[in-house]
Amino acid sequence: MKRFRVWLLCSSLCLLLTGCWSAQELTDITLAKALAIDKDGEDYKVTIQVLNPGEIAGDQLSTRATISTYSASGRSIFEAIRKLTKSSPRKVHLSHLQLVVYGEETAKEGIGKTLDFLIRDHEVRTDFTIAIAKGLSGDALISILTPLEKIPADKVRSSVESSEDFWAPTKEVKLDELIESISSNGKEAILTGVYLVGSPDEGTKMENTEYSDSPAQIYLDDIGVFRGDKLQGWLNEKESKGFNYITDNVTNTIGWVDCNDGGTISVEVFQSNTNMQGSVVNGEPSIKIDIKIKANIGDVECSLDLSKPKTIQDVQKKLEQKTINIAEASISAAQEYRSDIFGFGNAIRRSNPKKWEQIKDNWNTIYPDLNVDVQAQVEIKKSGMITQPIYEKIERKTEKEE
Amino acid sequence: MIKRRQKIKQKKDQVFKENISTDYQQHLFKDLETNRSHLLKILGNSSDIIIREFQLGKIHSTKAIIIFMDGLVDKETVQHYLLNPLIDNVRGIELDESLQDAATLYQLIKYSITTAELSEIDHFKKLLEHLLTGDTVLLIDGINQGFAVGSKGASERNVETPTTQQVVRGPKDSFTENLNVNTALIRKRIKDPNLWLESFTYGRKTQTTVTIAYIHGIVNPDIVKEVKSRLEKIDIDSILESGYVEELIQDETYTPFPTIINSERPDAISAGLLEGRVAIIVDGTPFVLLVPSFFIDFFQSSEDYYQRSDIASLIRMLRFFAFFLALLTPSTYIALTTFHQEMIPTTLLVSLAAQREGIPFPALVEALIMEITFELLREAGIRLPNPVGSTISIVGALVLGQAAVDAGIVSATMVIVVSLTAISSFIFPNYNLAISVRMLRFGFMGLAATLGLFGIFIGLLLMALHLTSLRSFGIPYLSPFAPFNSADQQDAIIRLPRWKQTTRPRLMSQRNIKREKMKKPQPPNNS
Repeated sequence: MKRFRVWLLCSSLCLLLTGCWSAQELTDITLAKALAIDKDGEDYKVTIQVLNPGEIAGDQLSTRATISTYSASGRSIFEAIRKLTKSSPRKVHLSHLQLVVYGEETAKEGIGKTLDFLIRDHEVRTDFTIAIAKGLSGDALISILTPLEKIPADKVRSSVESSEDFWAPTKEVKLDELIESISSNGKEAILTGVYLVGSPDEGTKMENTEYSDSPAQIYLDDIGVFRGDKLQGWLNEKESKGFNYITDNVTNTIGWVDCNDGGTISVEVFQSNTNMQGSVVNGEPSIKIDIKIKANIGDVECSLDLSKPKTIQDVQKKLEQKTINIAEASISAAQEYRSDIFGFGNAIRRSNPKKWEQIKDNWNTIYPDLNVDVQAQVEIKKSGMITQPIYEKIERKTEKEE
Repeated sequence: MIKRRQKIKQKKDQVFKENISTDYQQHLFKDLETNRSHLLKILGNSSDIIIREFQLGKIHSTKAIIIFMDGLVDKETVQHYLLNPLIDNVRGIELDESLQDAATLYQLIKYSITTAELSEIDHFKKLLEHLLTGDTVLLIDGINQGFAVGSKGASERNVETPTTQQVVRGPKDSFTENLNVNTALIRKRIKDPNLWLESFTYGRKTQTTVTIAYIHGIVNPDIVKEVKSRLEKIDIDSILESGYVEELIQDETYTPFPTIINSERPDAISAGLLEGRVAIIVDGTPFVLLVPSFFIDFFQSSEDYYQRSDIASLIRMLRFFAFFLALLTPSTYIALTTFHQEMIPTTLLVSLAAQREGIPFPALVEALIMEITFELLREAGIRLPNPVGSTISIVGALVLGQAAVDAGIVSATMVIVVSLTAISSFIFPNYNLAISVRMLRFGFMGLAATLGLFGIFIGLLLMALHLTSLRSFGIPYLSPFAPFNSADQQDAIIRLPRWKQTTRPRLMSQRNIKREKMKKPQPPNNS
């Protein structure tokens, strides 16, 4: 028993031999919030946006910038990141990374090689947003200071999130999704674009945040289409929205149609379900898309008698037609890029795996001419707090006065 | 050389001991004066001995003395029930020739004394025992025997409200330093002939009475036997508090966890007895021990049984939560900020980083500074006189904490961490466990600083192993969790309503399991 105790004591002393292995005090690390990857000749140029905590949450705020950026180039991403310690005063801690931005040029050349490090490194989480700096290099974009959100990476991320939730033509893509669609056969990748309005130089100064309307502002753009790991081009807003309808990624958005007499009527889509069905008819693959939308009337800017079921039915018909238009526009744009961003290939594989095995190698040639049938059903649930449009009353009053 | 000295010393000790023991063993002398001088010699002429000399009878008077210790006796009793009858009655009877013989006189005196307790003594040892516990000794010239008259009446503290284990609802009396009062407080609650008390005397110098109490028929006789056999092994010169006994009879010495619970609440002790435990009452202290006791007991307050069961259960869960908070808050803080930054939400991490920006010390040192400061304050707060005590805690908690943050020595979060720990550690109904937690906390902080959360888990694992290895009077310390006993869960983390708690704890009372037959209260049937 005594020997056992001595043995236990000695072995517990071994714990101390680890000597605080991998311990790092908060004051020895710097938190990276955004990472930009650009091509620099053969090398990769990595830029990180790190936080200056004292300026964000400190007791006494000075006018120093809330973030700093550091860049380094290397043959691989990993090398470049370690090289950052040459310029950064502390070790860069990547676990709180929120945003990874590729420059548009880099994206066109291919992003495949950069992904391995991001998913392999234990410190990096996979829940960051990935975007493309449209018409700009990545490092320029993450150097922009933003008002309201003290941390620019948070600003980009939260606007991607909220715009996906309430506007629809954007999509937040995370690492696992990106890797899956880049590496799998029946689906191509997409990434949201981010662009800058104003001069990049202005944006890096703290002054940028002192205006109510900042001279340099970051905007979200529409969806960038990939084939393999290379950026092919961009969808416009309508096509991007169509993409989200087809991929069943709409949680909430606004749609409008023309009234008969010239004004518009807008609805808030609060539920949208899409069913995508692949099939092979007479040896020809085809896709059937069925979009079911539930919406509320949100804004009537023409005279309509909403108390009549017929009117509602008319509006529903128009909305259905418009949805189909949007979806078809999106499909034909993607077909032009020869990029199956919707996962039509997957749909066909699911319905007819044998046929898919035969056509999978020729998919690139089959896809642009694929027959896609889009159906839409719109159901209007509520008409808001009032039934009859205000517009009608105003119209009548103006007529009388005249 | 040293050995020789030791030998000489040993010899001296022996001589001293022998002298004393022979002095004690001495039978009372016939001659009163010899008795008196022998007694005074033993007691070293102590100034608190009071000897009153008087005459018995009118004509053929006999000398007699009463001896008592000043302050230990109730002088009223001595006067009214001892001196009065002796002097008045015995003097009233004309001592004739026939009464001259010792035996008759002895009988006469014996029947004249009107106190409740009276015992005969013949040895100095016995005499001293009585004298020193507050009895009055009567010695008569010419008789080699004496009387000890029960006259204990030392000034005592009254039964007051408990100071360490307070409740909002529940009885407000607490034990005192007087053993008889304490046993009476228990007896008053359990009016059962099966409540048995047994007294023993320990402490060669202090001669302290230790009484064990149990309810015959409920208690497991093996436990009583075990308690007695452990008590018998006590050979110590003094017992001044029940802590002495606790330390000498506990199962495991090398443990930070208390395996014997103490209470100054008669209701808590009575409840323990009714569960089949054994109470150990030590004269001279209001803290009564209860064995066997388990880990779970330290989370239970007697108030749990006076409140509604749902509230009591929630509060118990809160105590468990507080246990882990008190144990692990500083170590978790250290582990997360130095090893696992990815586990802290970004916004919080940024604000932590901003606070730590100007702090010159690593998180462990920062935590140690604050924890040690807090321990200092806590100790000082207990020792200082009451009015000063509250000042110190204000100065300590408010001024020092704020100043330390302002001076950039510790971060504001650390002050929150320490305060949370402090508050949580005060939540336990029993002070003992709070001390264990205090101690272990520092160990966990060390583990967290070297190995992070991994270290904390190693620590928790070791703690769990240790806890399962503990026994309290042979019964697993972690029962009813390990070994798991589903029936006893009725009163562990949750307390079921009274009508569902129909059995006593299994492991303690194996004989009298059924506690009560009570049905769920039903509203009267109005139909």
